[in-house]
Amino acid sequence: MGWAAFVGLWAFSSSFILDEFTLPGPVKVWRAIWEILKSGAFFNDFGASISKTFIGFGIAALVGVPIGFLMGRTRYWKAFFHDGVVGAGSVPGIVYAIMALVIFGIGFQGPVVAVGLISMPFIALNVAEGLEGVDNDLLRMSTAYGRTERQTLRHILIPSMLPFVFAGVRLSFAIAWKVEALTEVFGSSNGVGFQIRFAFQGFSITRVLAWTLMFIAFLLVIERALAILERRLFRWRTWEQAA
Amino acid sequence: MSTATTADGKRYRRSPLRQALTSTWGARLTSYVAFAIVWQLLAWYVDRVPGPWETLDFIWREVSGGSHGGVRPGEFWEHFSATLVRFSIGLMIGFVLGTVVGIALGSSAFMRALLSDMLLVFLALPAIIWAFLTTMWFGLGWEAPVYTVILSAAPFVAVNVAQGVRSVSPDLHRMSQAYGVPRNRQIRGLLLPAVTGYLFTGLRFAVIISWNAVLLAEWFGAVDGVGWRARLWYDAARYRGFVGWAIIFIAFIFLLDGLVLSPLQRRAFRWRESAASGDEGLGGFDAEELASIGS
Amino acid sequence: MATLHIENLKKTFPAHSKGSKPTRAIADISFEMSGQVFVSLVGPSGCGKSTLLNIVSGVDTPTSGTVEVTQDGKRAKLGYVFQDPRLLPWRTVMQNMLYVSDLSEEEGRANAKHYLEMVGLESAEDMFPGQLSGGMQQRVGIARAFSVSPDLLLMDEPFSHLDAITARSLRDELQLMWNATKKTVLFVTHDVMEAVQLSNRIITLAHGGTVFDDVAVDLPFPRKASDPEFAAHQAEILARFETMESERADRAG
Repeated sequence: MGWAAFVGLWAFSSSFILDEFTLPGPVKVWRAIWEILKSGAFFNDFGASISKTFIGFGIAALVGVPIGFLMGRTRYWKAFFHDGVVGAGSVPGIVYAIMALVIFGIGFQGPVVAVGLISMPFIALNVAEGLEGVDNDLLRMSTAYGRTERQTLRHILIPSMLPFVFAGVRLSFAIAWKVEALTEVFGSSNGVGFQIRFAFQGFSITRVLAWTLMFIAFLLVIERALAILERRLFRWRTWEQAA
Repeated sequence: MSTATTADGKRYRRSPLRQALTSTWGARLTSYVAFAIVWQLLAWYVDRVPGPWETLDFIWREVSGGSHGGVRPGEFWEHFSATLVRFSIGLMIGFVLGTVVGIALGSSAFMRALLSDMLLVFLALPAIIWAFLTTMWFGLGWEAPVYTVILSAAPFVAVNVAQGVRSVSPDLHRMSQAYGVPRNRQIRGLLLPAVTGYLFTGLRFAVIISWNAVLLAEWFGAVDGVGWRARLWYDAARYRGFVGWAIIFIAFIFLLDGLVLSPLQRRAFRWRESAASGDEGLGGFDAEELASIGS
Repeated sequence: MATLHIENLKKTFPAHSKGSKPTRAIADISFEMSGQVFVSLVGPSGCGKSTLLNIVSGVDTPTSGTVEVTQDGKRAKLGYVFQDPRLLPWRTVMQNMLYVSDLSEEEGRANAKHYLEMVGLESAEDMFPGQLSGGMQQRVGIARAFSVSPDLLLMDEPFSHLDAITARSLRDELQLMWNATKKTVLFVTHDVMEAVQLSNRIITLAHGGTVFDDVAVDLPFPRKASDPEFAAHQAEILARFETMESERADRAG
């Protein structure tokens, strides 16, 4: 019902409140989307953006998990990494976008590094939080029953941390996707962001909206999928929380 | 010399240097030094990247109005204040708008059904799109930045306020009705403290998003201001200028958040022993807040 | 048959912040137990009973004194039941039972099933702890402790967090299990009545960590609360307990 309202309001505004040029109506934009899908530009650019995002994410995990682990374990490392990690997460996307352009020029490395740098703090901080949140009583039980460090790691530490890490991934995906597009707006030769900038320079509000809607649709679909995945993976939490 | 105790009760002496290096602030200091070193190395390796020293030098000149690249004394403040004005106006309007929508969403299931999907779309819309759209609609000037700020910040505020309104525990509500507590005392004692916390989170979100949004919008669609100035240096390939302004930009928000907003939020959450939303543990930023900063 | 030998045990915790003094949890405790006995450690809060269990189980170390937990000269195998069940919430009941076992997968399952049956929870083996009530979770905890076939079974106020009705039925169950398996049990509680019902020896600790009293309880098992002899025994031990309390109050006052 909410979607009907959205489309309805949109159509109404573009027809009666503003004009078709300022705010192209849903029909016009839908036709533009259809054009893009037919032309294959969709696969080309979307594919490029998606792969850059995922690679960047992978790097963020590769770097972020060890850092988070150290931060969660020792006070020294927590203090050492803290400002850097929080700082990396608070740099505005545009700064990353430009810096990527300055350092890497136009290419795929820029967006990948930007995504990596902005997602890494989420992952690191969530791993750290997950580690700190480990139930000490369970660890003591493990010791009392003579379990080895490996068993404790596998059965207690990692399952404890997983919900946090997952939450971090969910949260940072939206950000990563947005930063990726932004970086492409500034310096890329393909991708969703590139197309949006192209449309902007061509002063085509319709095409800007078309690409934007596709961008958003992808984001919402992935978020939904992650939410469903989270509920399945962590079934035990629903009972735990209710208890 | 200070002494430390090991687990088995023996004591030993630690040299003051070692103690300083391994303390928490020693760790922080070390990380900054490490960062500066890495930055300098990067500057040497990549031609276009400015080094830390020249960047700081630039910042000093720009702010104090010294002569370089045709910058007039006092020009810094012109631009900074222009940006500040747009930021504040956009923030205030966006905050009010977001609060109104949030209250509607939080208190009525009908509103939720009607508006949630729309809200989702607006939340997902990156600030850059608003920057583009408002520039196309209003041309170059102050309108694009202000509207970009409003449109970027309002959805986040709305979401937080809606959560706040919904969080008022129905149990407490029933209790106060059972005791016949008058309406205004209910609002003051029950509704307000619960919502204030969320309002604050929403405000912090809004501030950070707005600040980033104004920079973005000014880059593409303004004729003065911080964003425009940073672009000027970038277009002229004077990257120390760009990095310098970026640092000024980031420093401002760090100070604002650290000195004003964080302490205020901590006070607002005093009654909550677990301080869920204002988690101090990570420098005043919790995972959710970091989320918005990037956008 | 496990032997627990404690001699002149002292435990002091260092001062936790500037200006506070170190805490002396245990001043001096000595006792010995071995064989098929059910020994209760009773005492008010602050008498060091939980600290003692931590030291016996190896989670903590003594400041001075000897603690030996042996079975045929070697280090004894321990089972531990805590106040809260301490089950891994992300694993099923069966997986929780298997976590503490060193047997092969097949043997471990069969073993776990056997003990789950003893506590009446064989149908719950694929459920998550969150789906069980507090009492059921605690029964799993007990089953888990028994399932490792420990030489010495440590129990730290296992029923104190349960409602009275559940606690009563679990106590009866525990009594049956102990009779069936005849283990060496060290049971900590603040509830004198509980101690009298379950044990054949009660060691009373005074506040500050010293042994105040050490009596044998010679009633036959199973013990019923309605039995007059049982009630008499309870009254006697309670009286001694109250003497200790009033002595302490006199000294403090």
